[in-house]
Amino acid sequence: MSRIATFLTRRRGDGGRWHWTDVVTWLWLGAGLILMFGPAIWLVLSSFKTPAQLAEFPPTILPYVSETVAVTLNGETRNLPLYDVILSDGSADQLAELRRVGTVAQMIDPADPETVIKVPITDRRPVREVGFAWDNYLKPLEAFNFGQYLYNSVFVTVTATIITLITNSMAAFALSKYEFRGRNAVLLIIVATLMIPLSVNLVPLYSVISTLGLQNTLWGVILPTVATPTGVFLLRQYMLTIPDELIEAARMDKASEWQIYYRIVLPLTAPALAVLAIFSVVWRWNDFLWPLIVLSRKELFTLQVGLNTFAGELNVQWHYILAMTVATMIPVVIVFVFLQRFITTGIAGTGLK
Amino acid sequence: MSFALANTIGAVFAAPVRWLAASIDAPLRLWQRLTGKGGMIAFFLMPNIIVFGTFVIIPLFINFAYSVTGGNELFLTDRSFVGTQHFDRLLTCDNHFDPSSCRDDLFWTAVWNTARFVVVQVTTIAIVAMGTALILNSKIPARGFWRAVFFFPVLLSPVVVGLIWRWILQRQGLLNFVMIEMDLTPVNWLIERDWAFVAAVGVSVWAHVGFYALILLAGLQAIPRDLYEAAEMDGTRPARVFFRITLPLLWPNLLVVIVLALIRAVQIFDEVYVLTGGGPGTSTLYLTQYIYEIGFASILRNPGLASAASLMMGGVLIVLTLGQLGLQRWRDRA
Amino acid sequence: MGQIRLEGLYKRFGVHEVLTDINLEVDEGELCVFVGPSGCGKSTLLRQISGLDQPSEGKVFIDGKDVTRVSAADRGLAMVFQSYALYPHMTVRQNLAFGLQNMKMPRAEIDRRIADVSRMLEIEPLIARRPGQLSGGQRQRVAIGRAIVRDPTAFLLDEPLSNLDAELRVSMRAELAALHARLGATMIYVTHDQIEAMTLADRIVVLRLGRIEQVAAPLDLFDRPVNRFVAGFIGAPSMNFLSVADAAPLLGGGTPDGVAIVGVRPQHLVRAEKGLELCATLVEALGTETVIHGTLASGARLLATVAGHLKVAPGDRLTLGANPEQLHFFNANDQRVDAIA
Repeated sequence: MSRIATFLTRRRGDGGRWHWTDVVTWLWLGAGLILMFGPAIWLVLSSFKTPAQLAEFPPTILPYVSETVAVTLNGETRNLPLYDVILSDGSADQLAELRRVGTVAQMIDPADPETVIKVPITDRRPVREVGFAWDNYLKPLEAFNFGQYLYNSVFVTVTATIITLITNSMAAFALSKYEFRGRNAVLLIIVATLMIPLSVNLVPLYSVISTLGLQNTLWGVILPTVATPTGVFLLRQYMLTIPDELIEAARMDKASEWQIYYRIVLPLTAPALAVLAIFSVVWRWNDFLWPLIVLSRKELFTLQVGLNTFAGELNVQWHYILAMTVATMIPVVIVFVFLQRFITTGIAGTGLK
Repeated sequence: MSFALANTIGAVFAAPVRWLAASIDAPLRLWQRLTGKGGMIAFFLMPNIIVFGTFVIIPLFINFAYSVTGGNELFLTDRSFVGTQHFDRLLTCDNHFDPSSCRDDLFWTAVWNTARFVVVQVTTIAIVAMGTALILNSKIPARGFWRAVFFFPVLLSPVVVGLIWRWILQRQGLLNFVMIEMDLTPVNWLIERDWAFVAAVGVSVWAHVGFYALILLAGLQAIPRDLYEAAEMDGTRPARVFFRITLPLLWPNLLVVIVLALIRAVQIFDEVYVLTGGGPGTSTLYLTQYIYEIGFASILRNPGLASAASLMMGGVLIVLTLGQLGLQRWRDRA
Repeated sequence: MGQIRLEGLYKRFGVHEVLTDINLEVDEGELCVFVGPSGCGKSTLLRQISGLDQPSEGKVFIDGKDVTRVSAADRGLAMVFQSYALYPHMTVRQNLAFGLQNMKMPRAEIDRRIADVSRMLEIEPLIARRPGQLSGGQRQRVAIGRAIVRDPTAFLLDEPLSNLDAELRVSMRAELAALHARLGATMIYVTHDQIEAMTLADRIVVLRLGRIEQVAAPLDLFDRPVNRFVAGFIGAPSMNFLSVADAAPLLGGGTPDGVAIVGVRPQHLVRAEKGLELCATLVEALGTETVIHGTLASGARLLATVAGHLKVAPGDRLTLGANPEQLHFFNANDQRVDAIA
């Protein structure tokens, strides 16, 4: 690579002593590592904490759960929380809490459950071990329609991606492999649509959607997103590299134009189609503003809209929100882990996002 | 681009696709016989033309129609012509620099908020992306890993980004804890106006800078190596190499990055909306949110006004996009 | 089956005329080679015959039927492309089968034909591979196989050997000749390589700037080129052209009327007592022959190819003669003038 490299990482002299640029490089990378990954990791760790633990300040890094102990009292076995306690004589012990009255806790020794010891709550700390509050994940599944939102998001993502691939590849084929009058006009219109992002057309687009009776349907979310000129451009650019002789050979082989499209050109465009498919999945999964406008019925919400609505409710239940955020993030993280190299080279090559 | 991967993906989808496509080959052959090549071209273009027409072109015309008609109705026939009333309302100010002196103070608040956001955010992105690209381009071990590190947030959804940072920036959040540990005074990030602005800029930079760094990195890697070797043979000082070789050759890419970032920053909505909801007060209310609120959400709902505002934003975006296309053409020729 | 006739064919791209008044008849079973320098329109002419392109004017007949407006698919021709144009995502087998499937041929018949052709071309071991896994020569065979398997009315070959290395080209050339003899099918073969043209053709069509210069059997072309262009294009190294004055020592019996230029092939110059006085400037000893570059007293350049070894050094003078019957005469318009019998 370039010599800026040397500019930035050169080590003065031969002794391998660190130059200030090395320090800058590694500080930058270190800060990047913490800043870029840190928040997501913090989110995941927090999502496993109980509400009580989330409210703690200073926060702990790892999620903990309080230890409990089974105590048999009056023939009845109960699980009681366990505490480290400093007794009035200054000695330390582990006691289970029976009940709490004001600032005083009534505690018992699990070994001797009959004797109640009164301890000021300032003199005790809960005994905890690292543990995960799985309830944060399980509860929203039933209580907050999480499953429904997930289904809606998957449906929107998959359908929109399939339609995008089909329509865009057909148009790209026509625009790359045929000479016809008006081709440049069509290309120009497509370029023009690049300049009209969704955010400019929000209001009239909504009126079109409602005229078509698509408001409050997932199709109302899907169809407008299919009109991305980016996909047509990406595929056309790729198809231009397919030699015309192949298509002529197919014509000599009595292939119909439709066959040429789906048996010759489409398979050869697979790499570009894969790039577009991955991007489309990420785009549609992450879409927020448009679904927010189209969907007002709760059972139709996509994950993003559902999550936002839930987070906007008066009584913010962070333990559920954090868990759902993690769940929403998981597909994208999977895409990232497996296809990161594919995507980054795709971006560098196409300037697509 | 990995062909093995593409092949695998292809193999999974190929069979059903081929079966479906083959099933409509016969009618299409007939169509081709009847209409010739022209008919087939029309067939291939039709789905896209319908979608583009219905969801981009027609709405654009409706947009213009809305901007000169009044009322709350969505059907054009139910709306009355009001001329330039919406534009007058949006543009009338005693002093354009003071939103409170404007007839639509919310609009001008959004305009100036957006302007301030765009300037600060794009500058920050340009600087951080440049630094990151330079460092990723240097001789560091595991470059692929580091590239992935900076790219990671780019894929996250704006809602996830907003929520992550809302959690970290809350009064008793991680950031304040770290600040206390470092003997700094904790800050009410999302409650104080200026800090909320800082948070909005910071979070959006966090979410997008990796993308721009990648573009710049590609630009850096395209600079021929022998230029640097020639400079080294001449004994050119590294700083001079940077300012006389790297920067001039990277300049076209940097401009493209800046314009791209501008286009996105003008439309900023998602992550800031989730993070701050436009608050506190209206301190992080940006243009797209204004359009959204006026067009859909608030009791002040006024589609015509929202259309007028979006057309003005669209004007800015068209200028920027034309600039971007021109720049890219220039870069690809250079 | 397989007779092709072109009548008054013109092809224009905008104002640019690439084919001008092409009239040609290719007989059944003939191997006809289109040859000419690059840009002469030979490939364009082939495309008009194939149906991949439509002529601006004129007609194409196959077996007496006007096919000018018939699509490429329905002309019953097969084409071998310069780049082979094998479908990269299909195996060799699928490549061969594709056209047959499109003809709705029964599967058993397809299998039989592929088996026959792959045996004939010795590509049986490659049948399951993709084009990317084949060498250049193997791809070439598959491309030819794809044409043969269709059992076409005629074969169109567009510079089929130009992507092969020199050695392979020679052996493939021989195979193509054998194949033509075996199939007995009409073939139209486009090349810019005159050796290919000379060795393969029953008849050669020499094209220049979109016009047919001469149509003749290979040796006729060599012996009796109709104009200076054909004379210079056919034969390597190319013919020497001398002014009548320079050539005077060779012209014992005088010249026909109107001769402006005398042509003599380098191979036809031999050392003699009397003839052209050559001063050697460069000597290339190739072993089987010696190529001598030299200048005449007038300063005109001359090339001579003499068989065997010859002890000549630059600066040496030597005298070269030629058999008067092997001289070619051209008038001021570069057209052939026949010697007086």
